[in-house]
Amino acid sequence: MRVSRSGDRIVLEFADGESGVLRSLVDQYIEVVGTDAGADPAHARMFPAAYRDDDAAAEEFTRYTRAGLVDRKAANAAQVSLALDEETVRLTADAAARWLPLLTDLRLVIADRLGIRIDDDEIPDTPAGEVYSWLGHLQESIIMLLDDE
Amino acid sequence: MFDVPVLRTANSTQSDAGLETSLEVAPDVPWITLVWNDPVNLMSYVSYVFRSYFGFPKEEAERLMLQVHENGRAVVATGPREEMERHTEAMHEFGLWATVAKASDG
Repeated sequence: MRVSRSGDRIVLEFADGESGVLRSLVDQYIEVVGTDAGADPAHARMFPAAYRDDDAAAEEFTRYTRAGLVDRKAANAAQVSLALDEETVRLTADAAARWLPLLTDLRLVIADRLGIRIDDDEIPDTPAGEVYSWLGHLQESIIMLLDDE
Repeated sequence: MFDVPVLRTANSTQSDAGLETSLEVAPDVPWITLVWNDPVNLMSYVSYVFRSYFGFPKEEAERLMLQVHENGRAVVATGPREEMERHTEAMHEFGLWATVAKASDG
């Protein structure tokens, strides 16, 4: 993967199969984010309780915000999935910025599967661990280019 | 027959008075939005979110990000409860771990 800038575009050049893997992850994410509340353990990370010591207030917050958050997260992911049709993706700065929350959410889901719960938890030396690190590298690269503006 | 509208008027007057009282009290109890450390989000991303969403200058965003990283949390906004809930919802959309609390609990 190579991330660079060309004029006002941020260009993501994926290596063999990377865009396909990412697209598959994004499509799985759309399923995970849309399942019933609490049906997936990763939901606790994507939709954390908004009140730590007040369950009733936390539930009310969820009631008012959850559906909108799910819709926006899923719609954003669907946009990214479409862009991943190509091995080389050219994004405006605004479009690239919309990839960043999704990359975080993908990492939140994988972290849940890998049991990464605190800063000291090691990233396992497995394919899923590699993907987790790769997503972080992609996110960091995009942020650096956005900061260059 | 005339009792019903009369009662309604009396009730609404009472509840209006109650509302005024609570509105007078509210500004004394500010609320905060907290962002908590998590093992997933990159420091560069947390700082980016603070800049792009709250409009903090780079130095302030970095300071708050380091506070999250080192102290486990930082207060990123203070104000009325509804506004703090909106910020918290936005943070959740960014994938950050944010909560709402009374300022005294921060």
